[in-house]
Amino acid sequence: MEFELTEAQQALQDAAVRLARDELCDDMIQRDAERRFSREGWKKCAEFGVQGLPIPEEYGGSGADPITTIAVMEGLGYGGKDSGLIFSINAHLWTNSIPILKYGTDEQKRRYLPPLCDGSMIGANGVSEPDAGSDVFSMRTRVEKRRGEYVLNGAKIFVTNAPVADVFAVYGTMDPRLGPMGICAFMIEKGAPGLRLGKPMDKMGLRTSPMSELILEECVVPESARLGREGRGAEVFNCSMAWERACILASCVGVMRRQLEQCIQYARTRKQFNQPIGKFQSVANRIVDMKVRYETARLLIYKVGALMCQNRSADMDAAMAKLYVSDSFVKSSLDAVQIHGGSGYMTEMEVERDLRDSVGSMLYSGTSDIQRNIIARGLRI
Amino acid sequence: MSPEEIKSTVRTHILAEFLPGEDPAALTDSTPLVSTGILDSIAVLGLVTYLESKFGITLEAHETDAQHLNTLTDIARLVQSKLSAA
Repeated sequence: MEFELTEAQQALQDAAVRLARDELCDDMIQRDAERRFSREGWKKCAEFGVQGLPIPEEYGGSGADPITTIAVMEGLGYGGKDSGLIFSINAHLWTNSIPILKYGTDEQKRRYLPPLCDGSMIGANGVSEPDAGSDVFSMRTRVEKRRGEYVLNGAKIFVTNAPVADVFAVYGTMDPRLGPMGICAFMIEKGAPGLRLGKPMDKMGLRTSPMSELILEECVVPESARLGREGRGAEVFNCSMAWERACILASCVGVMRRQLEQCIQYARTRKQFNQPIGKFQSVANRIVDMKVRYETARLLIYKVGALMCQNRSADMDAAMAKLYVSDSFVKSSLDAVQIHGGSGYMTEMEVERDLRDSVGSMLYSGTSDIQRNIIARGLRI
Repeated sequence: MSPEEIKSTVRTHILAEFLPGEDPAALTDSTPLVSTGILDSIAVLGLVTYLESKFGITLEAHETDAQHLNTLTDIARLVQSKLSAA
């Protein structure tokens, strides 16, 4: 059992911290207020290699293993403030690049993976619908086969990256009665006839990550746009979610470390009643809880990475990590605001934004309740 | 592969994956799996993936409903028809 990153992994994480700290934090308060996505930040991350981390070199990536990928994401969260940008990169990686790598034809891999890795193409994921959220396979978007082509009709919501995306992973059903076995996945490019954006969706947090609805009206796509086998889109989606649940909260662990250090510093220097507030047990205890949450969250995330590195099933461990880290992230974000008092509630202090950003972690990639269902299934109860 | 061998292999898998702790004798060749909820829709997806991998067959979407997968007998019939056609 090894609890340390290798020298190379640590060096890469340190570089990611510097990238995030030096290049991704500009004008953060304003960009958050304006809900502005940073294409510049996206490009800088791509130049660093973030978007190509788990993708083999032959397709433009670096072939990093899951632990290395998690380490970089943790570094970005620790060094940076733009959790929205990192969330967008996560969506791009886990819902586009990884499923294409696993289920794509050779042509699809060569067409999409290099530009997805170098950042010139942005991917979005269209799966959720108004009546198909946690019960995702009850989706109503219909897929009909006509003369060798597929015709899609329906509407997707919560489509992260949609307003800036060049390609969309889209799911629909050929027959709702078939449940998961009727689902098909497609890669559809921006500008395809019948594909258009719906209204933008504003959010409580992660505001620099753009989101909108996606409308499909007689959207005709060739058979070559299908990802995976006909009727096996659920497998593609499950693959996507397996990676997403494992890795999407790594940056949140980094944020938890940053919050912890910021709170310790504040508790040492902020004085009330003629002493540093850290001397008050109620404040110290909050910071202790933040420390314990950070350490345990980190262990869970890296355990999932280690299992994936060994090609072992990580479904239940990823669900446990997702459940625990998201819950801990929200609690620690709230503690950080409380420790900073009234100042922590003010935008200028840049503490409250983490709290707003944290809440989504209990909802995206499967709500906490869905994670509990997965864990219960893993326990065979 | 005989139907009995197929049923035995699949029975072992279902007991381990979906019915841990159950009396193996309770899972007969005619025990309804889908219609009684022993296999929900997600479990069916997992079973189909298992059958394809284990027996080297390909199942179509219309072959993954309760009519084809409801009992061990149904499953063995489906698998054997695929193996015979290969």
